[in-house]
Amino acid sequence: MVETSSSPAGALPSQGPASATADKNEAAIAAHKKRNKLGLYFWIPMIWLIIVLVAALGAPYWGLPPADEIDWMNIKVPPNDAHPLGTDSLGRDLLSRLIWGARVSLTVGFAAPFIGVGLGLILGMVAGYYRGWADEIIGIAIDTWLAIPGLVILLLFSVIFGGSLFMVCFSLGLLFIPTAARITRAATLNYANREFVLAARAMGASDFRILRRELFPNIIWPLIAFVLIDIPIAIVIEGALSFLGLSVKAPTPSWGGIIAEGREILETSPHVALYPTLVMFLTVLSFNLVGDAIRRRLADVREGAI
Amino acid sequence: MSDTILEVSHQDTAFNTSRGLLQAVNDVSFTLERGRTLGVVGESGSGKSVLSRSVMRLLPPNAVTGESSSIKLNGQELNTMTERQLRRLRGPEMAIVFQDPMTSLNPVMRIGAQITEVLRLHLGMAKKPARARAIELLGKVGLPQPDIRVDQYPHQLSGGMRQRVAIAIAIACEPSLLIADEPTTALDVTVQAEILDLLQNMTKERNMAMILITHDMGVVAGRCDDVTVMYAGRIVEKAPVRELFHNTRMPYTAALMASIPRITDDPHRKLDAIDGRPPDLINPPSGCAFAPRCKHADEGCSAQVPALIGEGTHQSACLKPLGQKEAAA
Repeated sequence: MVETSSSPAGALPSQGPASATADKNEAAIAAHKKRNKLGLYFWIPMIWLIIVLVAALGAPYWGLPPADEIDWMNIKVPPNDAHPLGTDSLGRDLLSRLIWGARVSLTVGFAAPFIGVGLGLILGMVAGYYRGWADEIIGIAIDTWLAIPGLVILLLFSVIFGGSLFMVCFSLGLLFIPTAARITRAATLNYANREFVLAARAMGASDFRILRRELFPNIIWPLIAFVLIDIPIAIVIEGALSFLGLSVKAPTPSWGGIIAEGREILETSPHVALYPTLVMFLTVLSFNLVGDAIRRRLADVREGAI
Repeated sequence: MSDTILEVSHQDTAFNTSRGLLQAVNDVSFTLERGRTLGVVGESGSGKSVLSRSVMRLLPPNAVTGESSSIKLNGQELNTMTERQLRRLRGPEMAIVFQDPMTSLNPVMRIGAQITEVLRLHLGMAKKPARARAIELLGKVGLPQPDIRVDQYPHQLSGGMRQRVAIAIAIACEPSLLIADEPTTALDVTVQAEILDLLQNMTKERNMAMILITHDMGVVAGRCDDVTVMYAGRIVEKAPVRELFHNTRMPYTAALMASIPRITDDPHRKLDAIDGRPPDLINPPSGCAFAPRCKHADEGCSAQVPALIGEGTHQSACLKPLGQKEAAA
């Protein structure tokens, strides 16, 4: 329903002479399996993500120097034995800072979309199921929310609440609400008038039960796809925020913050800005590739189910 | 007569539309006793589905129910009940089987979960006994390998099997009233009889009352005790099934029967379709709603709405009933 996949037979290029249909079938199944396989575009980025994730989760256990420990003897040094990725302008170990910074980026990357999609899901389901005034109020609220530039909202939050990690996740999450709510509302509208919802009502199900048991399992799939898109976006936005100094506060390393520091010494020590940029680039790209592969797989599953 | 399950009197159901009030069910009255099956027959738009939704109180928000209308299920008035009260009746007291089993089951829920859902909600059963009961129910409705099917999704089942599942869900809480709203219309011809037999067996076994809604006179013939023919929201003829077929009074009923193809007909014989279309229910014609399409109608028919009259169990709403005319001729 999402992906326009041709029928298995149609997926085949001309098969030469009209051979036995059994052969054709087998080829079609093979073609389908091939299309269905996750492939290198999934596994290579996946391996990178696992490395980043494990590195970030185990940050205290790798025997790295603390991210804010200053090595006065080695300031702005390029990669060497003591510092595998060199040090920054204050002599802090870059590898350690990248790994500790990954914690911030990944936390924001996962938490913000979940907060946004979670709240958007509730609003969207209420609007799509109850329609009427609930729908209108939520619609107006979302339109109003959209009319305020995201950067202004983020600035406001960071000024009022300071740069705690939770507030960064929360304020970023708020930006994902409108789209999530709209997707949910559309999906809810689509399913709310189906006969199985009426059938559930006919068997005595309450509104809450219908929303939870009948509608939620049906609309969760487009939302999962949406979360997969939002993770890399959240990481990029967090990077931009900390580049501007609006994310977590100074001693706590974050990728965007390291890039900002490296910018000042770009001419003398380009490695300081290069490595975090590279790591962030690879991570965001990987999330996108993995997300695409999973979305394709989900689309296939949905197709098979209907 | 045995005890009454359902008592509908002067039921009016209308819908507020942008064009005006659409009178979908108009002054419908009938009673239904335990263990009996009432057939409701009529064309599309004759109000039979709205009647079933009225009984279940599953009406859209723009529906209006007449003030003097009354629907009593086991003596309880449904029309004035709150949604919360109705929820307690839907399932254990009344249940409905819908037309299309392709859409009346949730595509992403396992068969078993859809049955246990109801059992746990109304009977408060724990997970394990509910599952065992679900398998038992699936066996009862004739689903092969119920212990495997219980963990499958609707798309893994054929249409007939799905309708069996829908029936299993409907009878799970042993309702006293079962409404079957065109239960075989979406099914293969070969499966239709099986599903109808199943419904009949289930109602007889459990001593349930059933309303069988259909547009197919043939479906009604063998399986109902009484038949109600609806046209333009009104009951136009009501009789025990034998009486209706042998002694048809209302020309509309006769026309419906004539439209059934017979196996003894010539191969290229044209079907006796009813000319014209059902009337507009927002601006219904004056007098008998069927008069414009009726072969026997005269000016008198358009002057007044004929009352549903008749001696004993056979009633009809017609100024020129067929039987008497033939008798007079």
